[in-house]
Amino acid sequence: MEDLFLIGVGLGLGLIVIGAGIGIGRLASAAAEGIARQPEAADKITGAVNLPLFLLEGVAILGEVFALLVLLMTRG
Amino acid sequence: MSVSESGHSSGTVLEQVGDNIIHHVSNSSLDQPLIHLPPIFGINISVTKHVLMLWVVAALVSIFVIVPIQKYMKKEKPVPSGWMNAIEAIVSFIRDAIVKPNIGSKFTDTWAPMILTFFFFILFANGIGLIPIFDTLGATSRFLFDVPKGDDHYFVNKLLHGGATVTGNFNVTAGLAALTFFAIIIAGSKAHGFIAHWKNLKPKGFSIPISIMLILIETLGMFVKPFALTMRLAANMTGGHIALLAILSFMAIFAEMVNPLTGIGLSLFAVPMAAAISGLEIIVVLVQAYVFTLLSAVFIGMAINVHH
Repeated sequence: MEDLFLIGVGLGLGLIVIGAGIGIGRLASAAAEGIARQPEAADKITGAVNLPLFLLEGVAILGEVFALLVLLMTRG
Repeated sequence: MSVSESGHSSGTVLEQVGDNIIHHVSNSSLDQPLIHLPPIFGINISVTKHVLMLWVVAALVSIFVIVPIQKYMKKEKPVPSGWMNAIEAIVSFIRDAIVKPNIGSKFTDTWAPMILTFFFFILFANGIGLIPIFDTLGATSRFLFDVPKGDDHYFVNKLLHGGATVTGNFNVTAGLAALTFFAIIIAGSKAHGFIAHWKNLKPKGFSIPISIMLILIETLGMFVKPFALTMRLAANMTGGHIALLAILSFMAIFAEMVNPLTGIGLSLFAVPMAAAISGLEIIVVLVQAYVFTLLSAVFIGMAINVHH
């Protein structure tokens, strides 16, 4: 029965990584396209990309922390 | 280094590795404090590893940031030189690129000192976790001075328990995020008045049922913001160290499960990999200090520049 918890945690972690990867990838591709079209706006684009990037990363890390909590709860 | 220090646990290497990694990133146990202090109001306030590291970080920030700046300000003609150049570059970057665009030029001078304090403290606390001070100290005392490894009467052996990165401890980052939480309220009160700050939580121009929902979401958001700050910093600082230790532990695991030669062969990959991750960690250290200060500035700015 305990193994099922582990499978759940593992699947959840994988899904988190997929979600964060897609999000960050889209952000980076859009930023790269924007800079390629308008190289002079590179500073502004980088500044605008930073904040959503960190918020996105924060959500992914929250998910990982909760996955870890589930793991620890099932163990102890 | 990592596997030989676990000490108390027994069993196969595979069983020890998990506990050993946790042992290297978490705080040292309250049962074996570095300095024993009597409890106050039933709270055990003995000094553990992370508390000691907090003091070390505070001392380092004082020596390398506060003292040079105080000296510099007292000069007749303030012209930065040497170390002061670096500090001035960082200070002006944070003020002009983080605080001013997010908080606005009216309140820049009010909040820049706090944001700068966050940055320097987090930078020093993150950075000191990358320097293997205690591992070097432990190895020196064991191999040069023959201190037995289980003996906790030696202060150096006590120092070996627990990790050195204070920002990897959720309590420390929660403390920092609590400062941001109160700073948001104070910033809103200063800019709009205490009552008006809470009224700003309610978005204007919606019907009553939607307003009620939005107020609930805004109230929730008030607590989620510092919580996310707490988790982001602590998890990032812990995660890198765990990955580093896990990769180094592969050597010991494979050496026991297959044969010692495999372990030695694996070290040819594990050690450069660990070095590369350490390099990545240097970036993470800088980025996380930047992120915490940027997001604090953004949240404070959101309370000041309310737009509907």
